[in-house]
Amino acid sequence: MSQNELKNQIRRLRFENGEMTQQQLADLVGVTRQTIIAIEASKYAPSLPLAFRIAKTFGVPIEGVFQYEGEDS
Amino acid sequence: MNRAQKIAWSLVITISTGLIAGCLAFAVLYFKVGMPRALAGFALIGIAGLGGLSSLIFRKDKGKVAFDERDEVIKRKAALASFASALLFVGLACMIPFFVLGPNAAISVTWLPNIWIGAFLTSFFVHSVTILVQYGWRNKNESK
Repeated sequence: MSQNELKNQIRRLRFENGEMTQQQLADLVGVTRQTIIAIEASKYAPSLPLAFRIAKTFGVPIEGVFQYEGEDS
Repeated sequence: MNRAQKIAWSLVITISTGLIAGCLAFAVLYFKVGMPRALAGFALIGIAGLGGLSSLIFRKDKGKVAFDERDEVIKRKAALASFASALLFVGLACMIPFFVLGPNAAISVTWLPNIWIGAFLTSFFVHSVTILVQYGWRNKNESK
C-alpha cells in the first residue's frame, strides 16, 4: 500500500480540539513530533494501534481520522 | 532533526571527506613518489573514523518520547540496506580480482583488511544515507 493512499484529518482535528499542537498530540499518543508530521503529510502510514490511539485521543472513530483512497476503495 | 539524523549526517560528511582526501592524497603521491608508496595516501581515509565520535557528541533527544515505531521501521530498513551493501561490496571485492586476474593468479593477503575496512565504510555510509532518505533530508511541512 502506498502511503499516499492513506489520507487523514489529523490537522483539522487538532485545530478543532483546542488548536492542539503536534507536540501535544505526539505526547498524548506516545510518538515523536516528527512522526506526527510524517503522518499528517501522508508520508508515513501508522500502525493500527497508533491509528487507534490517535482516533481515541480525538474521540472519533478511526475512519474519522484515516481514509483509505486506494484503487480498490 | 533528531539524533539519528545528526549522527547520519556526520557519518556521511566524515566518510565522504575521508574517501575524497584519501583518493586525492593517493593521486598526488602516485605522481610524486609512485607505487607502492603512494598507497600511504589512503591513510587519510582514517578521517572517516572521526564519525565514530558523533554518538558521543550528539546527546539523546529531549522530549517525552525519543524513539517510536517510525524510528524502529527506519532503523530496520537502514540495517537491511547496510547489510546488503556490505555483502555486495565483499562479493564484488572477491569476484572482480577473480575475473580480472584470472583463476590462477595470487593476491597479497594485505587486501583482506582493506576489504574489511571497505565493507565497514560502505555499510556505515549506506546506513546513514538510508536514514537520511527515510526521514527526509530536512524537516519539511513542520507546523505547530
